[in-house]
Amino acid sequence: MTELERLQASCLFEVARCGDLKKLDILKNAILGKNGKIAEYVKELKNLNSEAKRKFGSEINSFKSKITEELNSKKQELKTKELEGKLLSEFVDVSLPPRPDHPGRIHPLTKVEEEISNILSSYGFSFADGPDIENEYFNFTAMNMPDHHPARAMHDTFYIQQLADNNGRKLLRTHTSPVQIRTMLSNKPPLRFFSIGRVYRSDYDATHTPMFSQIEGIIVEKNIGFSHLKWILSDFLRRFFEAKNLKIRFRSSFFPFTEPSAEVDINYEIQDGKIVFGIGEKWLEVCGCGVIHPNVLNYGDVDVTKYQGIAFGFGLERLTSLKYGIPDLRGYFEPDERWISTFGFPFSTK
Amino acid sequence: MRFSFDWLKRYLSTDLDVKMISDKLTSIGLEVEHIEDPAVIFKNFKLVRVKDAQKHPQADKLKVCIVEDADGNESHIVCGAKNVCEGLKTILAMPGAKILSSGEILKKSKIRGIVSEGMMCSHEELGLSSDRDGIIEVEPDIGLSTPVDEVLGYGKGIFEISVTPNRGDCLSIKGIARDLAATGVGKFLMPEEVICPVSFKFPINITYENSESCRQYAPIMAFRVIRGVRNGKSPRWLKLKLQSAGLNSISTLVDLSNFWMMDSGRPTHIYDLKKIKGNISIRFARNKEVFEDIKGNEHKLLTDMLISADEESPLCLLGVMGGKKIACNDDTTDILIESGLFDQIFISKTGTILNLNSDSRIRFERNIDKNSCISGLEGITQLILENCGGEASETFVIGKQLEINKKITLRKSKLNNVSGCVIDWNVAKLILKKLGLEEIRSNELEATFLTPSWRSDLNIEEDLIEEVLRIKGYDTIRPQNIDIIPTDSDKILERKNQVNGMKRLLASRGLSEVVTYSFMKENYAESFKEDRSLIHLINPISTDLSVMRSSLIPALLQNAKRLLDYGTASIGLCEAGNVFYDACEQELHIAGVRYGNIRERSWLEKTRSADVFDVKGDAFAVLSLCGVDERSITIIDEAPSYYHPTKSGTILRGRNKLGHFGELHPKVSKLLGFLEKVVCFEIFPRELRKLNTQKPYSSGKVFPKIHRDFAFLFASKASVGNTMKAIYEIDPLITKVAIFDCFESSITQKSVGISITLEAFDRTLTEDEAQVVSNKIIKYMESLGGELRRK
Repeated sequence: MTELERLQASCLFEVARCGDLKKLDILKNAILGKNGKIAEYVKELKNLNSEAKRKFGSEINSFKSKITEELNSKKQELKTKELEGKLLSEFVDVSLPPRPDHPGRIHPLTKVEEEISNILSSYGFSFADGPDIENEYFNFTAMNMPDHHPARAMHDTFYIQQLADNNGRKLLRTHTSPVQIRTMLSNKPPLRFFSIGRVYRSDYDATHTPMFSQIEGIIVEKNIGFSHLKWILSDFLRRFFEAKNLKIRFRSSFFPFTEPSAEVDINYEIQDGKIVFGIGEKWLEVCGCGVIHPNVLNYGDVDVTKYQGIAFGFGLERLTSLKYGIPDLRGYFEPDERWISTFGFPFSTK
Repeated sequence: MRFSFDWLKRYLSTDLDVKMISDKLTSIGLEVEHIEDPAVIFKNFKLVRVKDAQKHPQADKLKVCIVEDADGNESHIVCGAKNVCEGLKTILAMPGAKILSSGEILKKSKIRGIVSEGMMCSHEELGLSSDRDGIIEVEPDIGLSTPVDEVLGYGKGIFEISVTPNRGDCLSIKGIARDLAATGVGKFLMPEEVICPVSFKFPINITYENSESCRQYAPIMAFRVIRGVRNGKSPRWLKLKLQSAGLNSISTLVDLSNFWMMDSGRPTHIYDLKKIKGNISIRFARNKEVFEDIKGNEHKLLTDMLISADEESPLCLLGVMGGKKIACNDDTTDILIESGLFDQIFISKTGTILNLNSDSRIRFERNIDKNSCISGLEGITQLILENCGGEASETFVIGKQLEINKKITLRKSKLNNVSGCVIDWNVAKLILKKLGLEEIRSNELEATFLTPSWRSDLNIEEDLIEEVLRIKGYDTIRPQNIDIIPTDSDKILERKNQVNGMKRLLASRGLSEVVTYSFMKENYAESFKEDRSLIHLINPISTDLSVMRSSLIPALLQNAKRLLDYGTASIGLCEAGNVFYDACEQELHIAGVRYGNIRERSWLEKTRSADVFDVKGDAFAVLSLCGVDERSITIIDEAPSYYHPTKSGTILRGRNKLGHFGELHPKVSKLLGFLEKVVCFEIFPRELRKLNTQKPYSSGKVFPKIHRDFAFLFASKASVGNTMKAIYEIDPLITKVAIFDCFESSITQKSVGISITLEAFDRTLTEDEAQVVSNKIIKYMESLGGELRRK
């Protein structure tokens, strides 16, 4: 073994046993530095003849590259170790809670309003709107409820302290039906529209609030009749309650603004204290509907010799309560925190 | 309307059971609210005889009784009824029995130290009528083994149905049976027409006082006198019938009149003839004339109310209620029967004004058979003669029978069109005939009918179509799908969806959506109305809900207060809804309130209470969703008076107010019960309608941005926020301006740190270019009174 070979072995041994980046640096300097071990041999080169110079030079170079390679790989190894050690010292208890997030919730009426709008839009209904403060003409007269109609009595309807005009006294609409007349008057048939809004009746107990919400759907076309009403409502209710096998029962009823008139029931059963739709033999009323009375179409300036209409109406709170199991009507308008967190929807639900 | 299956069978011959009849009733619009099944109701009841009744040793008003049933089983019962006595037959509720009036299940109990093994029941406790005066007295001749439901006249079951206001004819057993028969569930048993034997001339003089105007409201009235009747307790069959209908038994004459009304739908009134002084006139009441009704209540009448009166005083409020003066009692021997026809609106008005309700009023209001004055009088006369004896006078009629039958033509094409399907023409005509319509002309295309006197609700072709479909059954009409027409762009729905988007955005920021009443307490609304005038309700449901809201804030605050009272530490609420003011103006507002901690306390960072800049952020988020560029907005430090005078602002775009935000005035928040600051905002989306939400986009390469930070000193009251908008105008290279720091550097000055981003869309900016813009900014800020802070 030459002297150089011995040196190489001892250097490699030193590198291999080095456990510290700083020491490795010093070692590197001692071997490869200006005054390092290799430099000493390089100095010797000039005393050799060309043949020996070439041979010895090549030995030095191979020694150099070998040791450089080892140094680099040791450096890499030590760096990795150092990082691992550093990371281990950065321990955090990841089981701790994140920063509190406090998103609010969407009112169930908004959610259901959107669900209903989506279904009705899919049949080609567009949205129509009307004011909450109405007059007797649009709320009653034009809906075929003449002067003496019991619904006009003070105990059902909220009247506004304001002078009556040609359209009678001002009042808070008792149903969304005035929107029918307003829309018929401002648009030419054929018409398909729906409205959703707040309505008011002077009732306040466990099952009534003085304000509640209605949905109203109207079609005025040339060939539209009771059988079509049955189809739309059956399809609508099955989609809304997400129950393909929902049974729908139409039974005769009376409304001044439709002729014939019907009320619509759906079947349900109580299972484990929860209401399940589409099974069982019990019936629950959900909707009023009918073929629009010709008097109403006349008030809406629709040519009754050419057009017919169908109409249906729902209570929004009732549909919402049934679908989402909300027991208390007052909670809709006077909620506490638990009501909001139980029955409200996350803002991202569609 | 309540009636037994047995009673229905008086007019309907049917093989169907209670359940099937019930389903049919519901289907044709006579909705069955519930059926009472006697086997279930009277499971733990039995007939007993009181064997012994002694005074309770500890209570004067109670008796300790021993009762015995058909098998001789004895029970000890403590009873408080006055009429309990030895030998009385009555109905005993045993432990386990459900008391109908209260819904409670009876238990064995100790009453004042003595065990009671059941309860003897009153009519009221069995849900039979409102009679709670003593326990039921069963006729002595009834055997103790008779089932209780039979004793009480339940028959096979009792229906409770709701009758829609157009169907006055179905406020009678006869009418209900006729409707049912038309559906084919049985045969209608048409009662035979009766003519009673006449024994003497009508003895009194009855006239309209003012014939023309009285006849407008009482076009025809028929009368008859019967002499020599015996009044008193009603026979058993009659009591049972009335019991099944939920009516108290009073006396035979009154009971017969009630029975006849329920049975045929014809109200009649029976006067005690001997109590009438002189002749009778049918007239309008004198102003404030006093009328004492049958229950002894006095009413001051108005001049548009129609009465019958003798020469002294009013006898009857026609069609609504009889008077106490001519009421029949056990001594009554001679009677006058009145059977009139009264205008429905007129009766409704009288009843409403006086707040008087009666079975008679309900029937006249909803149209009774207009041809029943005379036939109905015959019917009640026959019943009285059969049950009370006596001799009848001839019938006396004033006024005239109205022409009441209407001709309506039904076209086959219209029938099919309204139905939306093909209806068998012959079936349709048959249904109408079964309902009592008379076919006067008919061919393959149309048929003309004459409506019956009891169906004044039938007026137009559509009414006949409804009758056909209703009786045929809505379930027989097959659903027919409609063509789906794609909608044009629905601007109103888009708008609604946009508002729902705002609610979702606010919810994502921590504000829960609430829906509050559109009306509120007046003094509350006053604090929030500003220069608007409030809209008052004439008849609010309570003073807490008496004026229309002109702002969403107060109700949001009320809700926040409720949450606070239940201990919620971090409150955020929002609402989108209409406000109302002035001449019934209606406007959509969006508002939110925050109170308390902005978020829960956490180990990660300190929490803080919600402040003006949280709600300003909420407001800006909503505006930005509407496409409002912050640069187009100006904030002025003015706001309605319910806001804090300085910690609040109004958002302006040009001259339009887009909203307010700020801290609530401490006076207001204290008034509402908040101890710490409340912050809120309001946005008026009406002003945002004409917005173009599209922002310009320049395509092309992206070049590096240059950032520059500045610090300026300003007077501490300067509105620095608004100057940000102006900075953009200095040079087109400025693409972003942000304030990253703001603090009071001395009593009179604040230091404002502004960060500017420069960017060109066609080249990389040079340092020199950036310096030029920086200099412009410094110059501009100096022109506003700012002073560059140099390090």
